[in-house]
Amino acid sequence: MDRIMLIEDDSVIREELSILLQSNGYEIVLPDSFTAIFEAVRRYIPHLILLDINLPGQDGFQVCSKIRTFSAVPIIFVTARNTDMDELNGIMLGGDDFITKPYNTSILLARIASLFKRAYPSKEKDVMAYRGVILHLESSRVEYQAQLTELTKNELKILAFLFRNAGRIVPRADLVEYLWDNQLYIDDNALSVNMTRLREKLRQIGLTDFIQTKHRQGYMI
Amino acid sequence: MRYVDYVKDQIPCILTHIISMLGCLAFLSAARVNNGIIEILIAVWFLVAFVYLNTRYFFRNRYFKRLLSMLDHLDQKYLLSEVMDCPARADDQIYYAILKASNKSMLERVSQSGREKKEYREYIEQWIHDIKTPIAAMQLIYENNKSGLTKKLLIELEKIRNYTEQALYYARSDTVEKDYLVKEIVLSDAIHKAIAENKQLLLQSHAAVQMENCERIVYTDEKWISFIISQIISNAVKYSEEVPSLSFQAYSERSRVTLCIQDNGIGISESDLPRIFDKGFTGKNGRDSQNSTGIGLYLCNRLCEKLGIGITVTSKCGQGTSVGLDFPKGDFFEVRE
Repeated sequence: MDRIMLIEDDSVIREELSILLQSNGYEIVLPDSFTAIFEAVRRYIPHLILLDINLPGQDGFQVCSKIRTFSAVPIIFVTARNTDMDELNGIMLGGDDFITKPYNTSILLARIASLFKRAYPSKEKDVMAYRGVILHLESSRVEYQAQLTELTKNELKILAFLFRNAGRIVPRADLVEYLWDNQLYIDDNALSVNMTRLREKLRQIGLTDFIQTKHRQGYMI
Repeated sequence: MRYVDYVKDQIPCILTHIISMLGCLAFLSAARVNNGIIEILIAVWFLVAFVYLNTRYFFRNRYFKRLLSMLDHLDQKYLLSEVMDCPARADDQIYYAILKASNKSMLERVSQSGREKKEYREYIEQWIHDIKTPIAAMQLIYENNKSGLTKKLLIELEKIRNYTEQALYYARSDTVEKDYLVKEIVLSDAIHKAIAENKQLLLQSHAAVQMENCERIVYTDEKWISFIISQIISNAVKYSEEVPSLSFQAYSERSRVTLCIQDNGIGISESDLPRIFDKGFTGKNGRDSQNSTGIGLYLCNRLCEKLGIGITVTSKCGQGTSVGLDFPKGDFFEVRE
């Protein structure tokens, strides 16, 4: 499992971010104290570090350059200060990315995911499967019993979100929000249209009623 | 200095001469001096006094003209006493000393209020950075506890975030040049960022968003331009009666890239249009709605000026508003002070 170390002095953010990242499939490790960061990095060997710039005692820039002396682990700076100087500083000292608070959580997750992809290319997961249906994310196709059909960008994202929440009811509002996070600005009506087309495509490869409509609640696979 | 004014100032001197002349005339006539000699004496006296007065006028006038032109060329007029020479005449020296003393006290006041303003701005910036941590924490709490209630709170939180952003950029707008990084950016990235910042607001109002041909490269600061677009988006949602619809279109011309942001809102009346960039101006729409501050567009205009982006607003009452942003092409241009 991908291990992320959180170095953050605000206890509420630390807690909530841990929950969020854990529910997105990451393992979280925290240093015992801010004086023992380097020991913790050596001991836990995280795959990625989320580093706050404002830390008690020392700032994140110093921490980053010290970590760089013994490790090449990807580091994302997280800060409330959004000046270009800070960003430049962060990148110069060996940071891999820079995110400002308050962050859009979907952007944060996307940045983490893309950094993982960049740093550990072999771990790419571009296929999702559920009940014999295989979704190819890279080629934007869905496969069922050796039959393939092409999906549009919207349809692919809708299906990917349903796959990620397989077995659960997905409210329409959440689905729309997810599409917006992926820069597909679709309103309620357009979602219905896309849904109809998607179901038609699935029917053509022999999947009827794969996506169920839960009245007044949303969709479910 | 006008000649007439000078002569007026010299009236006591002229009067003294005239009285002395009359006295002299009376005395010399009583002493039975030849009339011709008296006439010559008076004429020479008159001539000497006339020449003296005019020469003096010439020199005084030249002196003041020089001072005035020095003042004209000075960028900060109050620094005159620092650059002018110490005058030679005793009374001028007194004025000079007075000017210096009063300027010194004013300089102290100016630098003190400058310092206070700087401290205040730094405090505001610090405060905004501090407030961002709890805002981020609240967003995370929503993310982990999604429900109808937390969603409502999140929408309000987005508004809080918007207002704090506005305050931050307001505090910083004086010193854009210190926090400015021109990069090659893709226009659509900045638009996506601005939409993401207003996501809850847009989703709540079921807004329709369209983007056309926005994958164009412009040279500007991403952070500032996202803020400007975000302000325009939030205005479009704020001033709409039906379901808001927003369209982003970009055109490329020979010397510039134009981004056109069109909404279907209530529009701006013709009489208000020329003043929308004024600070604190809210107009008819502002009086009808409660949330107008008159800061958003003022800031947009100001930041655009500093970034060298042209901003134009066209609108018709009831038919929506269209905002045009003109980005100059080319890979180098300077920040305007």
